[in-house]
Amino acid sequence: MKSKMQLTAMFLVGLLGVPLLSGCKKAAAVKPDEAFGTYDTEADWSDGTKVVKLGYQESQGKRVFYQYCVWCHADASPAGPSNRSNLTPQPPLLNDGEKLNQESDEFMQNIITLGGSALGKSAMMPPYGKTLSPGEIKAVIAFARAIAQPAYQPPGRPGSQYTTK
Amino acid sequence: MSAEDMGKLSHRVRLVFAISTVTCVAALAISPLKDFRAEWKHYKRSFVRFAQGRPDTKRLLADYNPNIDQAWIPGMNVVDRCGTCHQGMTQPSLADASVPQPFRAHPPIPHSPRDWGCTICHRGQGPATEVAEAHETTLAWEQPILPAHFLEASCGSCHQADLNETPQLTRGRELLSRLNCQACHRLSNLDRSSLGPDLSSLGYKVSRQWIYKWLKEPRTVLDKDGNVTVNGYESGDESRMPKFRLKEEELLALSGYLSAQKAKPIEEYKINPAVVALWSKKPDLMSQAEVRFRQMMCTTCHPLAVTRAGETKLIGGNVGPELTKVGSKVNEQWLVAWLRNPQGYLPHNNMPRYGWSDDDLYKVSHYVMNKLTDSDLLAGVPQLGVATENEIKNGKRLFLEKGCASCHQIEGSSPQKDFGPDLTALGAKNASELEFGKSTIAHNLPAYIQTKLQDPLSVNPAARMPQYSWNQADLDAVTTALLSQTGPKPTSTLQHLVVPKKDPSFQAMGDFAEVYERYKCYACHRFNGVGGTLAPDLSYEGSRAQKKWIADFLKNPQTIRPTLVLRMPQFNMTDKEAMTVAEYLSMAVQKPGVNPDSIDPQKYSPAAAALGKQLYEVKFQCQSCHTIGSGGGYVGPNLNNAGNWLTPAWIEAWLRNPQALQPDSIEPQRNFTDDEIHALTAYLMTLRAGIKPGTTATATVATPLVQGAGR
Repeated sequence: MKSKMQLTAMFLVGLLGVPLLSGCKKAAAVKPDEAFGTYDTEADWSDGTKVVKLGYQESQGKRVFYQYCVWCHADASPAGPSNRSNLTPQPPLLNDGEKLNQESDEFMQNIITLGGSALGKSAMMPPYGKTLSPGEIKAVIAFARAIAQPAYQPPGRPGSQYTTK
Repeated sequence: MSAEDMGKLSHRVRLVFAISTVTCVAALAISPLKDFRAEWKHYKRSFVRFAQGRPDTKRLLADYNPNIDQAWIPGMNVVDRCGTCHQGMTQPSLADASVPQPFRAHPPIPHSPRDWGCTICHRGQGPATEVAEAHETTLAWEQPILPAHFLEASCGSCHQADLNETPQLTRGRELLSRLNCQACHRLSNLDRSSLGPDLSSLGYKVSRQWIYKWLKEPRTVLDKDGNVTVNGYESGDESRMPKFRLKEEELLALSGYLSAQKAKPIEEYKINPAVVALWSKKPDLMSQAEVRFRQMMCTTCHPLAVTRAGETKLIGGNVGPELTKVGSKVNEQWLVAWLRNPQGYLPHNNMPRYGWSDDDLYKVSHYVMNKLTDSDLLAGVPQLGVATENEIKNGKRLFLEKGCASCHQIEGSSPQKDFGPDLTALGAKNASELEFGKSTIAHNLPAYIQTKLQDPLSVNPAARMPQYSWNQADLDAVTTALLSQTGPKPTSTLQHLVVPKKDPSFQAMGDFAEVYERYKCYACHRFNGVGGTLAPDLSYEGSRAQKKWIADFLKNPQTIRPTLVLRMPQFNMTDKEAMTVAEYLSMAVQKPGVNPDSIDPQKYSPAAAALGKQLYEVKFQCQSCHTIGSGGGYVGPNLNNAGNWLTPAWIEAWLRNPQALQPDSIEPQRNFTDDEIHALTAYLMTLRAGIKPGTTATATVATPLVQGAGR
């Protein structure tokens, strides 16, 4: 009889205790593989051993770049030789940070949309505003910023350097 | 029991009761405290502090509430509480990378997270309110978040049609179809690729030693840097034949069985003895044979290893099989018969039926049999005689057991249905449903798929699946495509969201159909979505090219793009065949609204042409991409012969909107006025160059061969 009572008491305590305790200890969680954590990557143009991580927008820019821009703004094109050497003035490489970092996003957006001649630059740069969407053009700019050498620093980041931890 | 005892006992009961009460009250007190300290509340409060530190506090906190934020999309079975912590998801000012997670804005995507929620794309547990439970696999929550690298898989579970935005998924689907995974596995929404070759008459084509070698070590291997190589030469594509881990007696039995397949004798052809006698005496036979082989442009469709400047690479198209060592593979009688009439050996294959002269046939077959060889190819293969009865019997059994019959046909063998597991719902599987065996990989679906593809035995020692060799990009692409196979949508509302694939159709008619079949135009060219992608899409060729130009081109094909060296082979078409094609294309293969005869080229005045030249060279500087004469860019086609090649109706329509005629064209649409279009067309119509004789092809092969974008 006595033991039965004790058992009941222990059972009661246990009943209350188990959920209390279990809430404190997390079940072991399996983390997804680190290597899979990036949406897309691009080999660094000036250093083949490095890899640049790309988010969704930048990877869309990469796609648009390799379809439309690569012919004149890279050292090689999908068909082999680059068209850069045929042009005067020579168009900048997309990763040319020295040249492109000082241009604002607005300027880049405008020259791609309206073409070189509209902004007093070479008419050899045609306008893509009717062929690419504004989103696609923004994506190309984001891609250029991601691969820029030297690295691109956006002008005056607003907000504090607050972290959650 | 005495009263005293009773008192004692009740004292104990009272004690137990008191303890329970205290515990109970404590539990009740802890519960709100625990709730207050819940993980998501911490993020809620953090966001407020974060927003207060920014200039746009008011806008950031405009729709703040201290409770759980939940997106409920009943039509899609979605309950997402992700916004509880990811509070800046739809705030454009938080897009900067310096904004700490989980507050950063979502990058712009075609579907707003506000309308679609998060878990449709990212998977994971929508209703969960703890970080680990929402993102990872825990004991109670099985669906982990999809790693960012494979996110395109989620696009593919609704979008069955290919999207521009998802190159990795598209490549993965292409590989699943090209490697014919559907031969053994059930997969949904894929193009059916052609099967491996029919082996019914294999005994006439290759030796038993060669079959033995091929089965033991199909030519594709990974080199020391992890690149896929074919016969040791770097290749962009996987060989379609995987490696089956066969034991010695299995190799003997299968090679015996396959070499005994002689269902249909080859159509033996005797090359005119006078031709043979004439050429076999000439000292420059081999160099002449090589020239002819190159002029036939076999490499337009077939890869071939070429050494230039000390570097050996595979060049050429990927429509046909690789030919580097084919001379050590096939027997000469078979080769001659095959070249004359490929469909005589395999009724359904894409090799065109050339019009061969005995002279060419002798030279080309001589070159292939003597130069495209490797004396070491069959080194290490035992001497194998005629197959014994027993070997043939065992070989036949193995042919079915190993799954060979799923890809290859042999008369009288029928493949087992559903040889491999059904994969139509693989992408929706939980880790607990997978067999990881003794492998030490992470227990999640993407890791499982990749490990299984790379080494099927590592997760299941009894696996029948053969060994493929992948480069990392293709492995990731196939994994993405497999993860997109999430089975049928659970409710009929969701079923409506599936974006179906268009079914292309093109039916060649009349005399044209015969020529179209004989020269297999569709192996390389595409017509209304039907056919290959190696060569230009011809869906609107009748609107684009002048009839006479088409006929001349077919008789004597030339490259139009300055960077292209590979070009369409000369099929030795008759004048009648060329005219049949030209007439049919001009009449029936048009873009609606672009009638090639609607504009009379005579209407353009010399003054308009002169203005057009000005516009071309100064205002629009078209020479940055197009070549005329010796100057100009490499990007577009050269326009030397535009006046003979293009129809004025096409040029005008093209200048107005290139993408309306060819959606993937990279030529930008400009703001030309009607007068400018008129003047530019007038100028282009004055550009005429005579077609050079066909022998120029010899000279071009000497420069590095480049496989370019064929458009």
